[in-house]
Amino acid sequence: MTAMPTNHAAVHLEVQLSSIKRDPVLIGLWIALVAVALVWVAPFVFIVFTSLKTPAAVTSTGAFVPPTELAFENYSAAWSRGNFANSFLNSVIITVIKVPLGLFLSAMAAYALAKIRLKITKALLLLVVFGTMIPFQVMLAPLFTLVNSFGLIDTYPGVILPYIAFGVPYQVFILHGFFRGIPKELSEAALIDGANHFTIFRRIFLPVCLPVLAALLILDFVSTWNEFAMALVLLQDQRMWTLPLGLMSFQGQFSSNYGQLNAAIVMTVLPATIVYLIFQRYFVSGLTSGAVKG
Amino acid sequence: MSGLSIGNVKKSFGAVDVIHGVDVEIADGEFAILVGPSGCGKSTLLRMIAGLEDITGGQIRINGRVVNDLQPKDRDIAMVFQNYALYSQMTASQNMGFALELAGAKRPEIDKKVGEAAAILGLQPLLDRKPAQLSGGQRQRVAMGRAIVRDPKVFLFDEPLSNLDAKLRVKMRAEIKALHQRLKTTIVYVTHDQIEAMTMADKIVVLHGGRVEQIGSPLELYDKPRNIFVAGFLGSPAMNFLEGTIEDAANPVLAMTSGSRVKLSRAPANSVNRPLTLGIRPEDIAFGGESGVDAVVKVIEPTGSETHVAVEIDGKELTWVVRERVELAPEQRVKLSFETSKVHFFDQQTQQRLDA
Repeated sequence: MTAMPTNHAAVHLEVQLSSIKRDPVLIGLWIALVAVALVWVAPFVFIVFTSLKTPAAVTSTGAFVPPTELAFENYSAAWSRGNFANSFLNSVIITVIKVPLGLFLSAMAAYALAKIRLKITKALLLLVVFGTMIPFQVMLAPLFTLVNSFGLIDTYPGVILPYIAFGVPYQVFILHGFFRGIPKELSEAALIDGANHFTIFRRIFLPVCLPVLAALLILDFVSTWNEFAMALVLLQDQRMWTLPLGLMSFQGQFSSNYGQLNAAIVMTVLPATIVYLIFQRYFVSGLTSGAVKG
Repeated sequence: MSGLSIGNVKKSFGAVDVIHGVDVEIADGEFAILVGPSGCGKSTLLRMIAGLEDITGGQIRINGRVVNDLQPKDRDIAMVFQNYALYSQMTASQNMGFALELAGAKRPEIDKKVGEAAAILGLQPLLDRKPAQLSGGQRQRVAMGRAIVRDPKVFLFDEPLSNLDAKLRVKMRAEIKALHQRLKTTIVYVTHDQIEAMTMADKIVVLHGGRVEQIGSPLELYDKPRNIFVAGFLGSPAMNFLEGTIEDAANPVLAMTSGSRVKLSRAPANSVNRPLTLGIRPEDIAFGGESGVDAVVKVIEPTGSETHVAVEIDGKELTWVVRERVELAPEQRVKLSFETSKVHFFDQQTQQRLDA
C-alpha cells in the first residue's frame, strides 16, 4: 500500500522530465530568446564598459572587455562638459509637462470618440488615425516656420506643443480601441446615476484604463526623453538644449573622448530605464489588457 | 395614475424600423415583463424608457410626466443591467452610493440609505468588497441595491438573471419578486425566458418583430393566447400544433392534413371545412382508449416530477407531458387522447385565435 504513492510520484516525475526533455519547440524558443537577449544587451554592455574606461584603455582593449580600473571621473567630466545640469533640467521640464498633459488630452479625445455618438465621430477618428501616418521628418521644415512665426523658437512651449501634436494621434488610436472594449452598460449605468461625460471619464474610465495609461506613459516618456531631431530644429540656443542634444558636445571634428561620450549616454538613458523599471508591471498588463476575458 | 405609459412609440435605426408603434399602460406598482424572442425590440423599448435610446415617434410618460426629451438621470428611473455594470474600482457600498454622491447628498445620508438597501438585500457583510471579490448573484444584488438606493418611480431590469446559473436564477427570481412585494415600486423587466415572465409578472407584454402581440396576466396569456405566436411562445414545453379542417358542426371532428381524425367536444362557429390550426398543450394530452389517436413514442425525457415524451402522429412530432410513472419505450405504439375542452383553435391564414 505504501509503495503506491511513491511509484506514482516517480512515474509522474519521469513523465514530466521526459516531456520537458523532448519538447524541441521549447528548446528552440529558449535558444532564440537567449540570442535575442544577447543582441539586445550587447550595446548596453559596450556603453557601460566604455564609460568606465580611461581613454588609453578604450583604444587598447576590446569593446566587450571589462575595465580593469574604473574611471568614474568620466561621469563628472561628462556632466560638466555637456552642460548636463542645464540640459537635464530642460529635459525634465519638457518631459514632465508634455507626457501627462499629452496623455490626458489623448484619453479625453479617445473617450469622446469611443463613447459619445456624433455623426462626425468616424470622420474625426479617421483624421486622428491619419495623423499617425505622417512622418514628422516631412513636417520639420514647415514646423520650424510655424513655430518661428509664433515666436516660440527656443522656448518650452515651442517644443512641448509640437511634441503633443505628434504624440496624441497614436495615443488616441490605442486608447480609443481600449475604451471601445469597455461595455457600454458601464457608462450608461453612470449616466442613469446622474454622471455627466466628464465625470464618467474621470471617475469610471480613467481608473479602469490605468494599465494602458501606464504603458503609454512609459512609451511616451522614453520617446520624449530621447527625442533628438525635432529638438535640434526647434531649440537652437544651447541653454535650451535637452539631453540628447547635449550629447553632441562630445563629437568634435578633431576630438572624441569615447569614455566621456558613453558616460553621457549612460546618464541620458538612465532616467528612462528607471521609469521603465518602475512601471514595467503595468506596461505588460497594459499591452495584454483586453486580450483575454477578465 | 399610470406608473408608466407608452403611447404609439416607434424606433428606427436609419431606414430600419425596429419598433412599430407600441402602446402599453403599466399601472403604478405593477410588475410588467416585456418578453419575446431575440431581436423583438424588448431591450430597445426598455432603453427608450431609460433614455438611453432616442425615441423616433410617440410618447413615454412616467408618473404622468412626458419624459421623451429628459436625460436618463432626470427620469426618476433606476436600471439593473444584464452584466451588472458595476464600477470595478469601487466597493459595493461606493457603487450603491454613487448616484447619491453625484446628487450632492451628505455622507451620513448616503451611508443611511446604502445601509437600508444593504439590509433589504442581505448585503451588509459585503459592503467593503469590490465587484471582483463577489459572486455573480452577489454582484447582481449590489446592482439591485444601487437601483434601490435611488428610490426611483420605476425600476428597469434588462435580463438581469441571464448571466447566472440555473439554480441561482431560480433563487434570484424569488428574491426580485419578494423585493417588489416589499417596495411596491413599478417594475419593467425584460427577459426572453418565458418561465421568468410567467412566474414573476403581474402583466406580461409579448413582443414580436417590434409589435405587441398580446398584453395580459400570465394565466390569461397562457389560457387564452391571442394568436399562434403567443400560444407557441408561452409554456414549456411549448404548445403542439396540428393542421386540419373541422368536419360536421354537430359532432365536430378535426380531420388532420396527415390523415388522422381527432374527435372534439366543441368547434369555433362557421369553422366547418375551414383550414384551422389546433393547439394543444403537452399536459393536456393523455392516454386514450380504443378511440384514441395512434401515436409512436420517439424520445423519452424524464425530469423527475414529470416525463416529456416526444411522440409522432402521422409524421408530425408532438410533445406529451406525463405526470404519472409509466413504462414507455422508443418506437412503442400508444393511443392518445386530447383534453378537448382545453384545445385552442387558430385561423391558419390570420394565425389569430378563434373562440369556440
